[in-house]
Amino acid sequence: MKGPWVEKYRPGNLDEVVGQDHIVERLKKYVEEQSMPNLMFTGPAGVGKTTTAIALAKSILGEYWRQNFMELNASDARGIDTVRTNIKKFCRLKAVGAPFRIVFLDEVDNMTKDAQHALRREMEMYTKTASFILSCNYSSKIIDPIQSRCAIFRFAPVKGNHIIQRLELIAEAENLKVTRSAIESIVYFAEGDLRKAINILQASASTTEEITDDSIYEIVSKAKPQDVRKIVKMALNGDFLGSRDLLREVMVIQGTSGEDLITQIYQEVSRMSMESLIEDNAYVDLIQSIGEYDFRIREGSNPRIQLEALLAKFLLRSKAD
Amino acid sequence: MLWTEKYHPKNFDEVLGNLKAKKEILQWVEDWKAGNPQKCLLLVGPPGTGKTTFASLIAGEFSDSIELNASDKRSYDAIMSTVGEASVSKTLFGSRLKLIILDEVDGLHGNEDRGGSRAINKIINDITQPIIMMANDPYSNRIKSFKPKCKVINLRKIHTNSIVFLLKKICVKEEVEFEEHVIRELAKRSKGDLRSAINDLEIIAHGEEKITSKDLELITQKDGRATVFDATRTILKSKDPSRIKTAMRQIEADPSLLLEIVVENIPREYEKKEEIEKAYEMVSEADIYLGRAFSTRAYTYWKYAYDLMSIGVALSKEESYKKFARYANSSVYTMLSKSRSKRDLRDRVAGKIARKLHASKRVAISQFPYFEVMFQDNEIAYNMMMYFGLEDDEVKLFRSMKVKIPESKIKTDPKPSKSTKKVKKSSNMAKKKKSRDEKSTRNDPSKKENDHKEKQTSLFHF
Repeated sequence: MKGPWVEKYRPGNLDEVVGQDHIVERLKKYVEEQSMPNLMFTGPAGVGKTTTAIALAKSILGEYWRQNFMELNASDARGIDTVRTNIKKFCRLKAVGAPFRIVFLDEVDNMTKDAQHALRREMEMYTKTASFILSCNYSSKIIDPIQSRCAIFRFAPVKGNHIIQRLELIAEAENLKVTRSAIESIVYFAEGDLRKAINILQASASTTEEITDDSIYEIVSKAKPQDVRKIVKMALNGDFLGSRDLLREVMVIQGTSGEDLITQIYQEVSRMSMESLIEDNAYVDLIQSIGEYDFRIREGSNPRIQLEALLAKFLLRSKAD
Repeated sequence: MLWTEKYHPKNFDEVLGNLKAKKEILQWVEDWKAGNPQKCLLLVGPPGTGKTTFASLIAGEFSDSIELNASDKRSYDAIMSTVGEASVSKTLFGSRLKLIILDEVDGLHGNEDRGGSRAINKIINDITQPIIMMANDPYSNRIKSFKPKCKVINLRKIHTNSIVFLLKKICVKEEVEFEEHVIRELAKRSKGDLRSAINDLEIIAHGEEKITSKDLELITQKDGRATVFDATRTILKSKDPSRIKTAMRQIEADPSLLLEIVVENIPREYEKKEEIEKAYEMVSEADIYLGRAFSTRAYTYWKYAYDLMSIGVALSKEESYKKFARYANSSVYTMLSKSRSKRDLRDRVAGKIARKLHASKRVAISQFPYFEVMFQDNEIAYNMMMYFGLEDDEVKLFRSMKVKIPESKIKTDPKPSKSTKKVKKSSNMAKKKKSRDEKSTRNDPSKKENDHKEKQTSLFHF
C-alpha cells in the first residue's frame, strides 16, 4: 500500500463515479456530442466534483486529454494575474487531437471577486477554443455573470449505500477485515463526504488488523481536536475570554476553517446532549444558534468573528455570572 | 489667511520636530540634485506631523512639480497619463527634474481607483524623476505592495513641548496675551497634531486680546482626530449615538480593522454576559454587511456595517462602565506574528498534499487528523512521505519520531527513484540496523502505482 487511498481509488472514468447518477447521465451526453457548455459543479466537500471533472475531461478529450486539460487548484496562486496569463496561454492554442480544450478550476468561490471578473472575461474570449469546468462549495459566492454563463450541476452529499459500496470495494482490494457495523459507523461520521470516509478507513487500517466499531470511534475521536471540546466547555462555563483565545488559536495557528470548525462544534454539542451534559431545552437553543451562525459564516466576511459571536451565545447559556 | 498657512514653515530650518527625518529628506534632495536618482520617498505619519509641509518644501527645491491627491481620480489610466508620462519622458531640455507628489496613497479607493497601486508600482520600478508619496497609515494594505521599494520616512507626532513653543510664538506675533496652562492644554489636546493645535488656537484667539481657560470650552467638543483606539473607546464607553458618529467620522480605518479592534475589547469593557452577547450579535451583523459589500462590490453597504459595529455595539450595554479598561490590539495579530514558522510549515505541507489530492490547502488541512493517525505507522509514513514528497522536518507535523526506511524497501527497492532522497536514504541505512519497528508489509502491484503517479503529475500544465 502506497500513498493515500483517496487517490489510489479515485474513479478513472465517469462510470466509476458513485452517487451522482443523474449528473453523470447528463455529462455522458456531452461526451457523445463531443461538445459541452461551460460547467459549474457546486456541492459540499468530498462528493466527487473534482473526480467527475477529471473523468469527464478524459472521456471527452480522449487520447490526448493530458495536453488539452488544465487544472488550476485553489492551492495554486490564482490572483488576477494568474488567471490572465496562465489561462490565456493555455486557451490561445487550438486543441490538438481533441475537439477543444478544457480548463478546470476548483473552489472558485474562494477566488476574489476581481479574479472572478477576470475569469469571466477569459471565458468569453475563448468560447471557441476552450470550455471551462468550475467547481465551488457555494454558488452564491460566484458573481452572477459567471453563473449565467455556466450549466450548473448540484452535487448532493453521497448517500450511505453508495459510500458503503465504495468502502467495501476498497476493503476487498486492500484485504482488510472490516465488520459491517464498522463500515456503517464510518458512513455516520463521514456525513456524505466520501473523501473523509476513505481517510477514516485508511487511518483505522493503519492502527489495527481488524477494523471494528470501536476502532472507528477511536480514530474519529483521535482525529477530532480536543480543543473543540474545550472551546465549547469554556464558553458554557462562562470563561468567554479563554474560550475565544483557544478558538483563535485553532483557526489562526492550526488553520482550521470556519466551516469545518462549526461542524465540529455541532458534533460536540450533540454529543454533550446525548451524554445529558446539556438540558434538552438548552440544546435546542444552542442548535438554533449554531445553525444560524453556520449560515452567517457563509454570508459574512470573517468566519472567525462569526464563530466568536456564536461563543457569546454559548456564554449567555452559561450558568456562571 | 489661515494661521496654519500664515505660520507654515518657509524653509527646512523652521520645521518643528522630526530632526532625523529632516536630515534624511535633505540628503535625498541633495542626491537627486547631484544627479543620483533615488528611491521613491514615502512619508508616513499621522495627520499634522508635517507630511504636506515637507512635500511642499521639497517641491520648492525642484524646478517643477506635479501633484495628485485623493480628490483626483487615481485609477491606473489616470495615474499613468498624468504622472507616468512625467516620470518617463525626460524633458527635451536636458535634465530638468520634475517632482511627482502623490498624496494619501493609502487612500487609494478599491473601486474607482482601480489599478492605482499597480500604476504606482510600475512607475517606481523605473524611476527617472523624483517621487514623493504620503500616507497616514503605515500598515495599510493599499501601500503594502510598493512600500518595500520606497525609502520610508516615519514622521512622529510632534512633542507637546514643541507645540507649546510654537503656539506661544504665534500668540506673541498676534499680540494675544495667554496663560501658560491654556497653551499647554491646547497642545496636549492636539495629541501631537500641530495643524489641529494651530487651528484650535486660531478659533479661540483670533481677534482676541487675551485667552483664558474659559475659552477652552469653545473647543471641548472637538476631539481632534481619533485613532482606531479612540473610536473604540468612544464606542465602548459612550451611549450617545451622535458622539459615536462624530468619532467614527474622524477615523479613516478600514472597517474590518476597526471591527477587529472593537471585537477584541468588547469583553474587556463589558461585564454582563447579556451585553457581550448582544454586542457580538451587532458585530456579527456588521460582518455580514461587509461580506455582502465584498461579494457584490456594493461598498455602499459599508455604512450599515459601520453603524452596527459602532452604535449597535455601544447601545448593547445597560450603562457606561466607570472603570479604566486597558484596551488591547487584537490578539489575532500577535498570534499571527508569533506563529509564523508554524504556519509556514503547516502551509508548506498542506500545499504539497493539496497538489496530490487535487484539492485546496483548506481541504488538505481538514484531512490532517487522519494523516496524523496514518503517520504513526512507520511504513505508511514512509510511503506517504514519498508520495507527497515531504521532507524530514515536514513529517514532524504528523509524528514526533523520524521516519525510517522500511526493511521491505531496502530489499525490493534498493535504489530509490527520487534522486533528492538518495542522501537521506543512505544515511538512514546505517541506523536501520539498530532499530526494527517495522510493521508487516502489504503487497501491492507496484506497476499500477507507477502508472497512477505518472497520470497525477501530468495533470499540471504550467
